[in-house]
Amino acid sequence: MNDILKILVEFFAYSLIAIGAQNAIFTRALGLSSGMRMLNDPRKNTLYFCGALTVFQLMTSIIVYFVMPLVTAAGFAHLRRFVLPTVIVMACTVSYVIVIGLLSVIVSKERFKELLQSVTSASITGTIVGTVLLTNYQGMTLLQSIGFGLGSSVGYLFAMLLITEGDRKIAHDRVPESLRGLPITLVYISVLALAVYGLTGHAIAL
Amino acid sequence: MKNKDYSYLYANWDDTVRRRKVTLSNPVFMKGLALAPIVVAGTSVHNGLLLCIAVFFLLTPTRVITSIITRRMSVPFKTFFYPFVSAIVFAFVYYYMYRYLGTSVLMLGVYLPILVIDPLIVKNFEKTRKESVLYSIINGLRNTMGFAVACMTVCVIREFLAFGTIGGIKLVGVSLLPMAQYSFGGFLIVALVAGLWSAAVKNYKYRVEVEALHNERHS
Amino acid sequence: MTSIQRKNHDKSMLWAIFALALCGSVLHGARVWLLCAVATVTAKVVDVLVSMIRRTDYDATDHSSELAALIFTLMLPVNIPVYVIVVSVVLTIYVGKHMFGGRDVYPFNLAALAMCCAAVNWPDKVFSAVVPFAKVDFFSGYTAQTTLSNASLIKAGGVPPYNTVDMLLGNYPGAMGADFVLVIVVIGLFMILCRKITWHIPVTFLITCGAIAYIFPRIYGFSRLESIQLEMLNGSVFFVALFMLADPVTTPKTPKAKIVFGFVTAVLAMIFRYVGSFDIGTCFALLLVNTLDGYIERMVSGDRIKVADVAGEDTEENKREKTVHRKIFTAEKTEKTKEKAPKGQKEKIRGASDAMDLISETEDNIDNVIYSTRTISIEEILKAEEEQKRKKGGKK
Repeated sequence: MNDILKILVEFFAYSLIAIGAQNAIFTRALGLSSGMRMLNDPRKNTLYFCGALTVFQLMTSIIVYFVMPLVTAAGFAHLRRFVLPTVIVMACTVSYVIVIGLLSVIVSKERFKELLQSVTSASITGTIVGTVLLTNYQGMTLLQSIGFGLGSSVGYLFAMLLITEGDRKIAHDRVPESLRGLPITLVYISVLALAVYGLTGHAIAL
Repeated sequence: MKNKDYSYLYANWDDTVRRRKVTLSNPVFMKGLALAPIVVAGTSVHNGLLLCIAVFFLLTPTRVITSIITRRMSVPFKTFFYPFVSAIVFAFVYYYMYRYLGTSVLMLGVYLPILVIDPLIVKNFEKTRKESVLYSIINGLRNTMGFAVACMTVCVIREFLAFGTIGGIKLVGVSLLPMAQYSFGGFLIVALVAGLWSAAVKNYKYRVEVEALHNERHS
Repeated sequence: MTSIQRKNHDKSMLWAIFALALCGSVLHGARVWLLCAVATVTAKVVDVLVSMIRRTDYDATDHSSELAALIFTLMLPVNIPVYVIVVSVVLTIYVGKHMFGGRDVYPFNLAALAMCCAAVNWPDKVFSAVVPFAKVDFFSGYTAQTTLSNASLIKAGGVPPYNTVDMLLGNYPGAMGADFVLVIVVIGLFMILCRKITWHIPVTFLITCGAIAYIFPRIYGFSRLESIQLEMLNGSVFFVALFMLADPVTTPKTPKAKIVFGFVTAVLAMIFRYVGSFDIGTCFALLLVNTLDGYIERMVSGDRIKVADVAGEDTEENKREKTVHRKIFTAEKTEKTKEKAPKGQKEKIRGASDAMDLISETEDNIDNVIYSTRTISIEEILKAEEEQKRKKGGKK
C-alpha cells in the first residue's frame, strides 16, 4: 500500500511540476510557434489539439523510453545524445500512424477530416520533443517521464486557454498598429510567464 | 533608390516580401518562427552564435536533401519526413559541433535539438510546389540570414541588459535589467523588437506606396 | 464605470494613498515623500512621452498611471534605491498600460505588475525592511538598521516578534505605507460606505484568505486563530485587497463575478504565499487571475457582452472575412454538410489509401493560415453595452 502511495505521489509531483513551475509555454516556451499558429487558425480547435498533444506526448515518451536502451545496447551509447532527436521523430511517426489508424476505423469520414487538422498539427511539436528530451537528459524513470509528459501537455492546455482568453482582450483597435498580432501576444505571454516565475523564483536548467 | 525601382517594388510587393527574408519577412520577428530557442536560450552572444551555427548547418542542407528527394518521388507523411531528414542532418551537425566547440554546446540543453522540428527548419516544405536545388539553397541561406540577424539582435540586447556585457566584454558595471536573462524577459524583448521591426516595415511599405503613386501621377 | 465615476474613484484612491504616505513618513521619515514624488513624476513623464510619440492628445484627467506608481511605491521599503522605482514604473506604464492600448483597456493590474517586476529584478532590495524611526539618508536611502520583513520571516519558518497592536499600527520593519492595517481598514470602510468602491472583492478576498490560513496554518506552535492573525496582518494583505483588487479596469463588473474573482484570487494568492519563492505572492497571483476576469464574468453572469459576439455580429467586413475563411479552407465541409448522410449511414473511410489522401491534403494546407488583422473597435463594444442596458431598462 505504501509503495502504491509512493508511486502515486511521485507521479503527481512530477505532473504538478510540469504544469506549474516548468510550464511548457511560460517557463520553457516549448511549442510556442505551433500555439501561435493554432490561435490564429479557425480550422483548429484548442481542445482537440491539446487532447491529441497529450496522447502523442504519452505514447512518444513510452516508446522512446523503451527504444533508447536498445540504441545504447547496440553500441551507440556514446552517440546517445546525438541520435535521440531522430529516435523521437520516429516515435512521433509511429504514434501518429497508430492514432490515425484507430481514428479512421472508429469515426466517420467527416469527423475524421475535422479532427485531422488538429491531430496532424499536434503530432510533432516542440512541446513533445522538448519534454521527451528533458526527461531523457534528466534520467527520469518511466513513471516520472509519463507524469512529467502528462503534466507538460496539461500545462500547455492551461497556457493556451489563458492565451486564447487574453487574445479576446487584446484584439482591439487601441493597441498600436505595429504591435497588433504577434508582438502584443508575446507581451501578454511575458506577463503571464512573470506571474508563473513567482512560483519557481529561479532560472530553469536548459 | 530610382523612381523605377519604387514602382517595381510596389507592383511586385508580395514577391519582394517573400525574397527579403532578412528584413521584410524576417522569420522570427514577422512570422514568429524559432521563438523557443531565442526566448529561453538566447541570453548571450555566445549562445546566439551557437544557435546561428546550428541553423546554418541544419536549415539549408535539410532543405536541399528534401527537395532532391521530393522531386524524385512522392513522399508520404510529409509532416514527419522533413523532421526525420532534419534529425539525421542534425545528428551529424550536433556531433561535429560538440567535437570542435566542446561542452559549451551542451549549455543550450534541449534548445539545440529542438531546432529539428522547429517550423523555421521544416515549415516551408509543407507546400505542393516542388523546389529546385538552387532555389532551396538560396531560400535556405536567406532564412538562415534572417534568423541570424534576429537571434543576434535579441542576444546582444539581452546580454547587455542582464549582465552589462556584450560577447563577454564588460561595458557597464551594473546589471541594468536582470530579468532580461529569464524567459519572460526574453518574451518581452522579442516582442518589443518585433514591434519596432513591424513598424519599420510598415513605414517602408508606406514610403514605397507613396513614391510609386507619385511616379505614376508624374509619368 | 463612466469616466466621471472613474475620475472620482481615482481621486478618492489618491487621497487614501496620501493618508498612508503620511503615516509612512511619520515612521520612516521624509524620504517617503521623495520616493512618492519620483514615482508620480516618472509615471506622468511616461504618459506625456507616449502621447507625443503616438501623436495623441494627452489626457490630463487620467490618473491611473500615478495611482499605480504610488500604490507600488508604498509597498516598497524606504531604503529602496530611486532607480528601482524609476525603471519599474517606466516598464509598467509603458508595457503594462500603453502597449495594451492605454487608459481603461489594460488587462493587468499595473501596481501588481510593477511590484512583480521590481521583485524579480532586485529581490534583495525589495524584500529588505527598515526598522521604524531609523535614520535613513534622504537621497541615497542608506541606513544601518535593516532587517527581514515579517513576511520574509514567516516564509523562512520564523515568527515575527511583534504584538498585535504593533502589527495593526504598522509599527514594525516593513513597507513604507502598506502595513498600516488599522488605517487601511478605516479607509476601506469609508470608501465602501461612500460607494467609491464595492465591498464584494475585498471582503471576499479577505474572508477566503483568513479561511485558508485557518484551515491550512503554516506557522507551527500557534493556534489557528493566531495563524490567521499572523497571515492577515503581514504581507500587505489588506493593502492589496483595498488598493489593487478594487481596480475597476482589471476586475469584473457584476457582483456575482466579483465574488468569484475575489475567491479565486485569494486561493491563488495563498498558494503563491505558501509555495512560491517570493513574499508578495499576492501580486503574482493577481496577474494570473487578471487573465480570467472576462471568463469569470461570462461564466457567472451570462448576459455580459462577449467580445467575440460583437465582432461576429456587427459589421459587413466581419461577415465577409468569416466567409473568406470558410470558402478557402472548408469549402468541402460546407458542401458536404448540405448532403449529410442520415445518422445510421455515416460515410466511413474506405481503406488506407482514402486515409492517406485525406492526410496528404491536410498536410498541404496545414500552413495556409490567414492571420486575422481584424481588430475590434472599443466604441462598438461600448455601444453594444449601452444598447443592452437600454433593453434591460425597457424590459423592467
